[in-house]
Amino acid sequence: MTARSLGADAAPSGRAVVPSVWSRLWSANGPGYLFLIPWFIGFFGLTVGPIITSLYLSFTDFDLLTPANWVGADNYIRMFTADPKFFQSMRVTLLFVLFSVPLKLAFALAVALLLNRGMRGLPIYRAIFYLPSLLGASVAIAVLWRTLFAGDGVINDFLAVFGIQGPSWISNPRYSLWTLIILAVWQFGSPMIIFLAGLRQVPVDLYEAASLDGASKWRIFWKVTLPLLTPVVFFNAIIQTIEGFKSFTPAFIISGGTGNPVNSTLFYTLYLYQEAFAFFRMGYASALAWVLLAIVAIFTSISFLTSRFWVHYDD
Amino acid sequence: MGFNLDRRQFLMGTTALAAAAAISPAMAQDKRMRLTWWGGQARADRTNAVSDLYAKAHPGIAFDTEFNAFNDYWPKLGTQVAGGNAPDVLQMDYRYLVEYANRGAILALDDYVGKGLKLDDFDQDQQDGGKVDGKLYAISLGANSVAMMVNTQAFGDAGVDAPTRDWTYDDYKAKAEAFNAKSNGMKLLADGSGSEPALENWLRQRGKALYTADGKAGWDAADLTEWFKLWADLRAANVCVSAEDQALDATAAIDTTMITIGKAATTFANSNQLIGFQAVNKAPLTMVNFPRATAGGAGGHYRKPSQFWSINPKSTMIDEAVAYVSFFVNDLGAGAALGVERGIPCSKAVRDAIAPTLDAQSQIALNFVSGLGDLQGKLPPVPPAAAGEVSTQLNTKAQEVAFGTSSPEDAGAAFAKEAADILARAK
Amino acid sequence: MTTEAPRLTIVTGGDTASRVARKRVMSVIAHVLLIGASILMLYPLLWMLSASFRPESEIFTSNSLIPTSVSLHGYISGWFGLTRTFDLFFLNSFIVSILCVIGNLAACSLTAFAFARLEFFGKNFWFALMLGTLMLPYQVVLIPQYVLFLKLGWVNSFLPLVVPKYLAVDAFFIFLMVQFFRGIPRELDEAAMMDGCSPWRIYRKIMLPLSLPVMTTAGIFTFIFTWDDFFAPLIYLNDLKTYTVTLALRTFVDSTAESNWGGLFAMSILSLLPIFVLFLFFQRLLIEGIATTGMKR
Repeated sequence: MTARSLGADAAPSGRAVVPSVWSRLWSANGPGYLFLIPWFIGFFGLTVGPIITSLYLSFTDFDLLTPANWVGADNYIRMFTADPKFFQSMRVTLLFVLFSVPLKLAFALAVALLLNRGMRGLPIYRAIFYLPSLLGASVAIAVLWRTLFAGDGVINDFLAVFGIQGPSWISNPRYSLWTLIILAVWQFGSPMIIFLAGLRQVPVDLYEAASLDGASKWRIFWKVTLPLLTPVVFFNAIIQTIEGFKSFTPAFIISGGTGNPVNSTLFYTLYLYQEAFAFFRMGYASALAWVLLAIVAIFTSISFLTSRFWVHYDD
Repeated sequence: MGFNLDRRQFLMGTTALAAAAAISPAMAQDKRMRLTWWGGQARADRTNAVSDLYAKAHPGIAFDTEFNAFNDYWPKLGTQVAGGNAPDVLQMDYRYLVEYANRGAILALDDYVGKGLKLDDFDQDQQDGGKVDGKLYAISLGANSVAMMVNTQAFGDAGVDAPTRDWTYDDYKAKAEAFNAKSNGMKLLADGSGSEPALENWLRQRGKALYTADGKAGWDAADLTEWFKLWADLRAANVCVSAEDQALDATAAIDTTMITIGKAATTFANSNQLIGFQAVNKAPLTMVNFPRATAGGAGGHYRKPSQFWSINPKSTMIDEAVAYVSFFVNDLGAGAALGVERGIPCSKAVRDAIAPTLDAQSQIALNFVSGLGDLQGKLPPVPPAAAGEVSTQLNTKAQEVAFGTSSPEDAGAAFAKEAADILARAK
Repeated sequence: MTTEAPRLTIVTGGDTASRVARKRVMSVIAHVLLIGASILMLYPLLWMLSASFRPESEIFTSNSLIPTSVSLHGYISGWFGLTRTFDLFFLNSFIVSILCVIGNLAACSLTAFAFARLEFFGKNFWFALMLGTLMLPYQVVLIPQYVLFLKLGWVNSFLPLVVPKYLAVDAFFIFLMVQFFRGIPRELDEAAMMDGCSPWRIYRKIMLPLSLPVMTTAGIFTFIFTWDDFFAPLIYLNDLKTYTVTLALRTFVDSTAESNWGGLFAMSILSLLPIFVLFLFFQRLLIEGIATTGMKR
């Protein structure tokens, strides 16, 4: 079996009685690096080049159509000193992340727990709850959200039953971001599925043991289910936060790429996209991207540092 | 390029991915010209018909065509240009013309005029519309003009006469009460305060311009304050739609305009869009000019090149590309295939030939543009590079006024400064 | 799993009759909640379904779910509306999506296994870099990537969409698998290691079989994400013959000109069908994880 040659056990069985430094290095590191070969090819062949190029471009005035000129830190300086739209888009994005991520995760976990019970019709419910996520970035969502959240939309028709006259949620700068948060939360299918898969990995015997001890369901959830689910909770929280910061499509399709009304839905990446492709400032857009990367990296690092206190791995 | 194309087709043909049945490898002996434009299938059908005619008349030329929606078109074209892989012939917009021309991404065609490129009976203003710094970079594919779409049924139902070419903003205001009494919430006007074409039209009637020939603002803060006040007044008098309703229409896309969603009886648009509007509107539509600033106010409109063909300077088949563009705008058969879908043809011979064959809506568009009369002023200079960004900012500022977070005075002054900054930065 | 809940109640149950009654009430409440939520979730689909049968002049003005007149025009003008019929776009989407699923499952699981279970120098460094690739907005790497694929001669083929998946560029899935692999009890592979199993055998014989839930999840997600993606196809595919469904859908509507809205909604409905059916079918595998194989620790 060719797999043998991959194995750490194959290495020391050669001629040397005392393993050389090299073979010890190999047996300690070799298998890991062998498994990483495809990733290394992809990383160094496809990913690193473009990433470094974008870092370089962030110090230039690249305009898509002509070669880039080095401008030093100008882009970064402008961002923090002379660009109100940078701060506005950062504010919008932080608000979006702050509300949409916890709400989405809570929904996803609650529904996953509900759907994890033995119930009739489960596959159908699961599929239905996943449905909004299937729609992806369909143009239809823009039209749909208008029919729901416009002044004479379905939501206000419903509120009118109780004598409430609602505003045009989607086009009023005070509420428009909320309609996008609702859209994000409504598409909670992906984390829900990941939670479900996580729940499926909780071994049955643990439940059995806990219930034999007479623990209540609530206690079982807190003492057995949730701790075992923490790696998945951690994953979903990290991913949703990163995706939230990078969120582009909802605002793009619903505001037609403008971020209006009054820049109230000007997501960070939407602003970046405008700069890059509508205003021909790819250099500046690249700088925006690297600032975002720095911010997201800080959030993620903090999460990883704190994770050892609450994420329970089985190793 | 030729090598690249061949290799690409080779790859396409050999990859297992290329579902053998679906992809037929190109005939090797044909020279393949790449065309790209934005638009829907209706435009694609007409354009492909012209390409077929051309291929029939010019054996050895075949076409690879790409078309995308307007919003998808620009990022893709930008990426292709940046990668050095732009198509041979590409559709250009008035808004982006300066950006692409100044940066050498499209070819100056002056040397080809009279040789491969026939412009004998091509309207002069349409030729000028494709010029940047005196050089011809783009060939207009049709003239259009700004125009208001009018829901004739709404006026009929409300018992108010439909607007005529003489109506001023004040006339709309005077009819609003009678209209609103029976319109069930529908207003007379969309809110045009954030619409760059509406502002330009109004400025021109007052002897100003949106941009000067040297790419500066052709107006000052006082003009803009007055503009924002005009609309604040119309809004307060229920002549135009509310701020919330107008903000539903983020990009003046046909499907979100106030007329399509039934909020207003008229909407600011372009003369070549009547067919597109009619398709998603139940009530019969017609067209009228933008309101006059004052009675007899003239010269706001102009015949604007709606779309252009431009040529990639890195193309390996520039002569063929020029010949194709020339055929596209001069050949009578091509003209018949295209109709007025992109705008009124700029060649007089083509215009005369197709006029009798047009359907009713196309006739309305043709008559509107050719009958502008005193409404028509001279062609303004091509907008400067950052015009798109200024326009975006106008929309935001107009919304601030509409939602009451900014007064017309503050917004006018702020916008004047922002526009100057944006224009200076783009230099 | 369906047997688990009753088992719990029987074991802990004292007063059985009232427990059963209470359980029934709870179950009814749960169903009512779920059905209510389902309607909320289903509304968009119903609305799209209704829009797809509607004359275009009604799509933008009516909130009602019931069209005043029903026409199949959208379906016909949609299917035959572009120069190529939609079956070709479906075929293209299937080819791309399935190839991506295979690539992602193979490449990401190898990478994830290394990060989750093997020790090697610089592991944390590489892991951090891998996660870092998730954080850069794709809009700014688009052009360098395009230039790269152009030089490779891959533009206007499926290669730029598919090949990267075989090189584990999707950090999302690597991270996902790492988290799940770490949840598999370590005693299992430690025991195997004692028996002289190579890492490759542990990966093949222990990790993969025990990771059915996450592999299914990753497979379904890859398929759906690829199916829904329009930006990469938009940039890399030029020829209509190579268009995927999502890209073809976007050519129906141009905000500045005559568009085919009926066709858009009709074909949107049809394009949902395959991924919905796929999801219904494969989600079975989600519930056949460790829990139901009755693995003991």
